[in-house]
Amino acid sequence: MNNEQFNDRNVSNDYFLVDIEDYPTDGWGKFKRVIKRSFRGELFVGLWVVLREMIRFDIHTVKYPEEKMPIGPRYRAVHEMKRLWESDTERCIGCGLCEKICISNCIRIDTKIDENSRKEVSEYSINLGRCIFCGYCAEVCPELAITHGGEYENASDQREHFVMYEDMLTPLDKMKAATQLEFEGFGAITPHEDERVKKTPLAY
Amino acid sequence: MINFKINDISVEAEKGETILTVARKNDIYIPTMCYISKTTPCASCRMCVVEAEGVEGFVLSCNTPPTEGIEITTNTAELENERTNIMKLYDVNHPLECGVCDKSGECDLQNKTLEFNIERQNFSARDQNRDRQNWGLINYNPSLCILCEKCVHVCNEVIGDDAIEVKFGGYSSTIIPKNADTLDCTFCGECIAVCPVGALVSSDFEYTANAWELSRVPATCAHCSAGCSLEYETRHSGINSVDEIYRVKNNFEFTSLCGAGRFGYDFDNKVVKEVDSFKLGIEALKNSDAIRFSSIITNEEAHILELLKEKLGIKLFNDDARKFAEFMKSYSSISGKLHHSGSLDAIKQSDAAIIIGSRIATDNPGVRYALTTAAKHNGAKVVYAHPMEDVLMQNVITQFMKYEVGTEEGVLALLAHALLVDADLNEKEKAFFDDLDLGYIYAETNLGEEEFSFMMKSFTRTKNRVLIIGNDLIAHERSDNIAKLAALIEKYSSFSLVIVPREVNTLGCSLINSLDIDEDIANVVGYNAKGSFVISSQEGADLAVAALNQQEGTVVNIDNKVLPTNVALSFNGYTLNDIANALDINKENTVDYTKELSKNSGFKTVEFDDLENFLSKMGDDVRGYLLDEVTCQADGELEELDDLPEFNGTIIYHADPVLQFNNLTKQAAQLEKDNFLRGSKQFSVAAKISDGDKVEVTFGSTTIQREFKLDSELKGTVALNPTFDIGVDSSRYRFVKSKIVRVV
Repeated sequence: MNNEQFNDRNVSNDYFLVDIEDYPTDGWGKFKRVIKRSFRGELFVGLWVVLREMIRFDIHTVKYPEEKMPIGPRYRAVHEMKRLWESDTERCIGCGLCEKICISNCIRIDTKIDENSRKEVSEYSINLGRCIFCGYCAEVCPELAITHGGEYENASDQREHFVMYEDMLTPLDKMKAATQLEFEGFGAITPHEDERVKKTPLAY
Repeated sequence: MINFKINDISVEAEKGETILTVARKNDIYIPTMCYISKTTPCASCRMCVVEAEGVEGFVLSCNTPPTEGIEITTNTAELENERTNIMKLYDVNHPLECGVCDKSGECDLQNKTLEFNIERQNFSARDQNRDRQNWGLINYNPSLCILCEKCVHVCNEVIGDDAIEVKFGGYSSTIIPKNADTLDCTFCGECIAVCPVGALVSSDFEYTANAWELSRVPATCAHCSAGCSLEYETRHSGINSVDEIYRVKNNFEFTSLCGAGRFGYDFDNKVVKEVDSFKLGIEALKNSDAIRFSSIITNEEAHILELLKEKLGIKLFNDDARKFAEFMKSYSSISGKLHHSGSLDAIKQSDAAIIIGSRIATDNPGVRYALTTAAKHNGAKVVYAHPMEDVLMQNVITQFMKYEVGTEEGVLALLAHALLVDADLNEKEKAFFDDLDLGYIYAETNLGEEEFSFMMKSFTRTKNRVLIIGNDLIAHERSDNIAKLAALIEKYSSFSLVIVPREVNTLGCSLINSLDIDEDIANVVGYNAKGSFVISSQEGADLAVAALNQQEGTVVNIDNKVLPTNVALSFNGYTLNDIANALDINKENTVDYTKELSKNSGFKTVEFDDLENFLSKMGDDVRGYLLDEVTCQADGELEELDDLPEFNGTIIYHADPVLQFNNLTKQAAQLEKDNFLRGSKQFSVAAKISDGDKVEVTFGSTTIQREFKLDSELKGTVALNPTFDIGVDSSRYRFVKSKIVRVV
């Protein structure tokens, strides 16, 4: 492949200065500008395009919210907490890396030891009002537990908008129906990962 | 000096140093897994192997001293292969749960596995089911344990509890409580600290946070005068991001920490700012006649209190520091200097020690650990003189001198008499010893001449000797003469002297404040102490101020070191400096007073921010600074011995249980609040009470309710009464006659 276009960093030749009229300084000049802008008829140019396309029935508008655009697998919207396929238990081990890496400081996690002496997530919340959906949490997660989903409709009447662990966790009926979707975005497992895994040598 | 070469670099070793310590000194890296500087080498990991010129096979660098001219190589391919194989063996069946393990991120095994690039291991063994065990404050997970034996060595050699051991059984070896089903020890938690993996963890901390989430705040422990260095590890908790201390860690490679320091960290004041109570506090101070304060404050606060005293023309009460100051004054009048000569390091390096007048294992665990280290590493002869035996010290002491309650002056006179037998005393001092009625003293103290000759015999050929003076002597009625006798011993013998202050900053307060005798007057503002208006960081305060882990400042510890402590948790309220500012003693920050502390007492003109708070790589303590030695006039004279008092009837001894010191430790959630009156079988018979009885104990003008507990480890007719929950007058002699009545 020819790299010339990338290597040529002298782009100044392709730039040109836009011809901008001098700003009016006196009252008469300003009045003239108002009149000129008001009666130029540019509005009708736009209206004509709409009318023309309507007559042709060549309409591209998505009728949101009845119709929705498909979301790409790497789209980073509201977080999801995944479960393990084999046991339906939560994947999150409470390592706290997502909280640590979060650059907008919107994740809070508290863990404790449960009655079976296992680490349990006792409190987990994400403040979506602060979240910038950078995807670092999903990227750093060693268990592929926290991922991004396609749920982008989180308009709310206040800035603070928390999602809790239970809300993000894949519901059990969804697990039973085997419809949990794996995140294919950044941080997800690479394809053909199985072939790279080596067994631990165990003689028994 | 031994000259030899490591990796073609010429190095020097002092006598007693091993190849490993010399290498570390010279920045030459030798990996280790089981080595810990403060114990004798465990020699269980074999990672530290090196090659020596002309020696066949590998040499363990951790326990091999170098010989003159030897050439050592630390990094050949064979050594690398050997170490890699050891690491592979360590990784066999080690649970792959780093993600949840508490140790992850600061784990030796994790670090070394990555360092040696162990991607796979070609060994295997049948995995076994090993159950986790809960030992109270400590949890043990045998499947994570790598059997490095650090915990066993520390428990035995430094702490002296000797509570755990290795149960040998090849691949199924584990750590078990020694001679017991469950762990029965002082719960210092040092085993948690030294554990290189997540096998021994604090049961409170387990699974609540990870190493990478915690911020470390270097500080000084607030619980006793040892002033141990520690790090508070803080993290926000809950959604509202309020910071909390999650655990306390120490530089376990060189220092130790007792359980109160390690688990008793949650004494911070959570009360928020109240403007009204602040105004009331200012008014109360303006109208007060005196301020009563405790010694659990910083030097800077003590200095502010002194300024307040001058400004308002009021009195300052702190009997604990006053008693200590008086003791030191008498000491100085003979020794001609302000500060005692010994230190914890001197105790650690000693080979002969006398400890008198303190139940040291609970009064000051730092001294206990230093004594244990001396006994185990130098074979120190430890003479423990006290009216009561202490089971915790029995692994350490070589001679127990049981004297009668109240006869401390006589005991010290006998001690001085024995130690200064060949000393070059002046006429008056000679006369003092000539005038001693030895027969009377031997009889009253219930000590025998042979005990002293046995002691002197055991001390022959010892070089580093320490005399440790405890609170019973400082608070004694005849403390004046006792201090002079102690000074005499220090002056004329090879003994260095350590006087154990009671609270964290008793020593500092005694140097900074000019204290008045505590009177029972009405208008007293209490600063962390009782009063008609109480300004305190504890519960029930009229005006809340920051606790010691919420403020910066310095304290003076038993070593005469000025140690800085830092803010671990923020405090939304007032400090003593705010109060002083409101009364026109203006300084922006409390620590602005650090450089103004009295030069006459040995303080230096150092800014707080210039004080370091860490231990060097080789374990040198560079925290704060040592007080300057101040000479003063030695014009004191020994007084004639008073009649030795007799204590008859039911005697109780004010001594706190393990892990308890004061109302700060009382507040700590993890520490056991064992406030039983403890006595022996003999005591229970004499006092006509039995195990489990509710009793009313009356001493002086105080009456308290206690439950009596029969303690099979105790002997004699004196019972132990805890004071952490009642706060008794710390200037009084700790043995008191009491009346004990059973409550029905």
